[in-house]
Amino acid sequence: MELAEPTHKTTIWEKLSVERIKIELLRTAYGQSMTFLSRFDPRMLIGWYSFFAIAPWFIHNKTVLIGMLLAIAILTYTSKPSVLVLIVLAFGLVTDTAYMLIVALAFGGGFSAALALSTLTLKLLVIALASIAVFSSMDPEKLSDALLSLGMPAQFSFGVAYGYRMLPILIEEYNNLLYSYRLRGRAPLRKGFLGWRALVYMGKISVLAFYPLILNTAKRTRTTVEALEVKGFTYAVKDPRVKRIKLAYLKVLPRDYAFIIVSAIYVAFLFWLGSQFTL
Amino acid sequence: MTFQSTEEQPIIKLDNVTFRYPGAEANSLEGVSLSICRGDFIAIAGSNGSGKSTLCKCFNGLIPTYYSGDMEGTVLVDGLSTADHSVAELSKRVAYVFQDFENQLVRPTVYDEVCFAPLNFGYEDYKERGMNALRMLEIEHLRHEWIWQLSGGQKHMAALAAALALDPDVIVVDEPVAQLDPAHARVIYEKLKLLNERYGKTIVVIEHHTEFIADYCRNMVLMEKGGRVRWVKSVSEGLSAVSELTEMNIQPPQVTQAFHALRSEQAVERGIAYPITIEEAAAHWSPVVRRASFLSDTGESIVPPSSQAAGGEPLVCFEGVISGYQGIDRKKKPILQGIDLDIHEGDRIALIGNNGAGKSTLLRLISGLRRPWEGKVTVCGKDTRKSTPEELSDLVAFLFQNPEEMFIADNIRQDIEFFLKARKQEGIEPFIEDVLRRFKLTELQQRDGRLLSGGQQRRTTLAIGMAMRPTIMLLDEPTASLDIASRKELTLLFDQLREQVKAVVIATHDMQLVADWANRVIVMNEGRILLDTDSRTVFQHPEILDRAALIAPQIVQLCGRLGIEPACLSVEQFIAYMQRMPREELVYGIS
Repeated sequence: MELAEPTHKTTIWEKLSVERIKIELLRTAYGQSMTFLSRFDPRMLIGWYSFFAIAPWFIHNKTVLIGMLLAIAILTYTSKPSVLVLIVLAFGLVTDTAYMLIVALAFGGGFSAALALSTLTLKLLVIALASIAVFSSMDPEKLSDALLSLGMPAQFSFGVAYGYRMLPILIEEYNNLLYSYRLRGRAPLRKGFLGWRALVYMGKISVLAFYPLILNTAKRTRTTVEALEVKGFTYAVKDPRVKRIKLAYLKVLPRDYAFIIVSAIYVAFLFWLGSQFTL
Repeated sequence: MTFQSTEEQPIIKLDNVTFRYPGAEANSLEGVSLSICRGDFIAIAGSNGSGKSTLCKCFNGLIPTYYSGDMEGTVLVDGLSTADHSVAELSKRVAYVFQDFENQLVRPTVYDEVCFAPLNFGYEDYKERGMNALRMLEIEHLRHEWIWQLSGGQKHMAALAAALALDPDVIVVDEPVAQLDPAHARVIYEKLKLLNERYGKTIVVIEHHTEFIADYCRNMVLMEKGGRVRWVKSVSEGLSAVSELTEMNIQPPQVTQAFHALRSEQAVERGIAYPITIEEAAAHWSPVVRRASFLSDTGESIVPPSSQAAGGEPLVCFEGVISGYQGIDRKKKPILQGIDLDIHEGDRIALIGNNGAGKSTLLRLISGLRRPWEGKVTVCGKDTRKSTPEELSDLVAFLFQNPEEMFIADNIRQDIEFFLKARKQEGIEPFIEDVLRRFKLTELQQRDGRLLSGGQQRRTTLAIGMAMRPTIMLLDEPTASLDIASRKELTLLFDQLREQVKAVVIATHDMQLVADWANRVIVMNEGRILLDTDSRTVFQHPEILDRAALIAPQIVQLCGRLGIEPACLSVEQFIAYMQRMPREELVYGIS
């Protein structure tokens, strides 16, 4: 029984454990309060972000896109994102590029077609890094208040903050449910080629564990809904005064304007540069 | 404990209230009339399903506004009829701390949580109100903590603070002891007492732990099946009704039980009040015992022999084990620091210690869910680092603290079969039927585990464990949040384990379980083993119990006060001890 193989397999599983993911997610959500971007007003950040999330779709000039990417990469670096998020992003990019190469070659487009498609990759990268930079710099509370301030319904903005509050508990419970499957189930005795049997088994219980999680959550919600009633939440939703008091702390400061202006000048410069030297 | 009478109108007044949940077949409350005076500290006791929570949800208008069932009668809160006012309006007068208080906390930090309700009501000074609530409970230092990082006791405190933020007159707390360890429960009660005495709040607790009722409450309400109020009495009078309480599955304080069993006919005739606290009991018995102390060493040994001396290979072996978790800052935080431990056949181990002492980590190491950073854990000759949890599950059954995390199939029968089905075993039906019958689950087998009562859920998890036919069984807090009847039943079922399972380890805060069941007790503190001994010896080390935030059973404490050594571990032993004293010494009722 005591082969070297199972030991090896489980250490990988431990490294990619649910607990690890929990820690990384929490770090992303609450970990850093003092990054460069976190100093700005969250509404301004959302506005800034929506430009960088939408504009790249309409820009076909690679010079501009690369310029944007450089600036955003630096901002992403200052917001100290979690390694896990970056790994997921890198994985997405690598598979994306590989897929494009295959498609381009298969349909006879050759290397030049693949190069053309790489513009799309560049766009995706700008948008993805902008999301990482902004959302790992903004804690869920600020995000929720900003959304409320921008006119989202109170239920929605509350939901965002509440979701984050529940996240660690849900992950913990999911982990324990997963353990329940493992402690009573049976892993395949033969691992198969590259351990595919073991991977299928893990994949299967990872999905199955969501069902009891959903049922448990549904049961738990009853108290939460009663508590919200008792705490006057339904009452507050209808009262504009509450919104005003709650958001009184949000203020757009000179540094927010400065940031917007610097960003605008930089983007304008990129367009000028792009018109001079098109890649 | 004196009865405090007030001339004012009662703060809560129910008049002939009957309530039925929508779609239910029977009434949950039946003709309830009840008055609660301003400034009272009152307990609502009753067996499971006697409508205690339903009654309390009438106080803040959740019934009938939120649950639109059939309601008759009137509920007046501070003169306001709950039928005509919104829940929000009534919440300013009556605060409610739910039994599953974790789900009541809806904001990310303690500070946000306490400010939430005042903010919702549009108070400009909501921050000040939130801080005031924290100040009242003296927990300002927790204000910037994330809710998910708090311990159970701190979460309960945060829920209480959030309820206080609206400065209500009445605070209703649903079973504070159920989810907390005894030391933390006592802290909560101390705070409630403070709120009652210093701030004049009316406190209503749903409680069946009579030792807490005796120590903190003034009056008590006894509810009976069908949602009727049996009586409302002062605590000392109420707890003296020993046979009535026992009939309702409520266990009177141990000292009261002992007195009840030992009382003379004379005392009954004269209607002497029973002692209900340790102080009263010590005052009552100390003259008798002091004269009889020369008898103290004649008692035969009642402790079952500890198996520590048993020879042979240990079933589980820890060698210099260090293990722990990774914190949010990616730093490794050791929980267990150099554990050496052998578990032998026949061991019934109670693993005790404060929260965070490393009990759960120790159990997880045995089950293989966690692996040691350093050192080695061997289970029946297998090194856990070289085996998967699936392989170890042939030897070890691990029952989680929260039963709902063990219900992974559509109904409990499938949950019980899961292990054997996964191993493709044939002809398991008779065995499964037998397990179901033994744990009284035959009737319930088609139900989803989540929809069962607390006691039924526990029985199910035990049945799941039994169906795995393990060599070693690990249980994490199996008696938490159970009422006395379910607890007793569970203790009986533990005896069934003894026939098949070679060693059982229970992590617990339940000192009565330690006294009644364990033959070996391991006290943990800060990741180390403080003491490894038998259940009698452990209670002779008050300084160790203190360090591990544990409280000995009342009868053990009483023996300590009376200087009875070795201490009696159960009421029966105490009664036997007292009865061995010369008859003429036992003159009751002279005080």
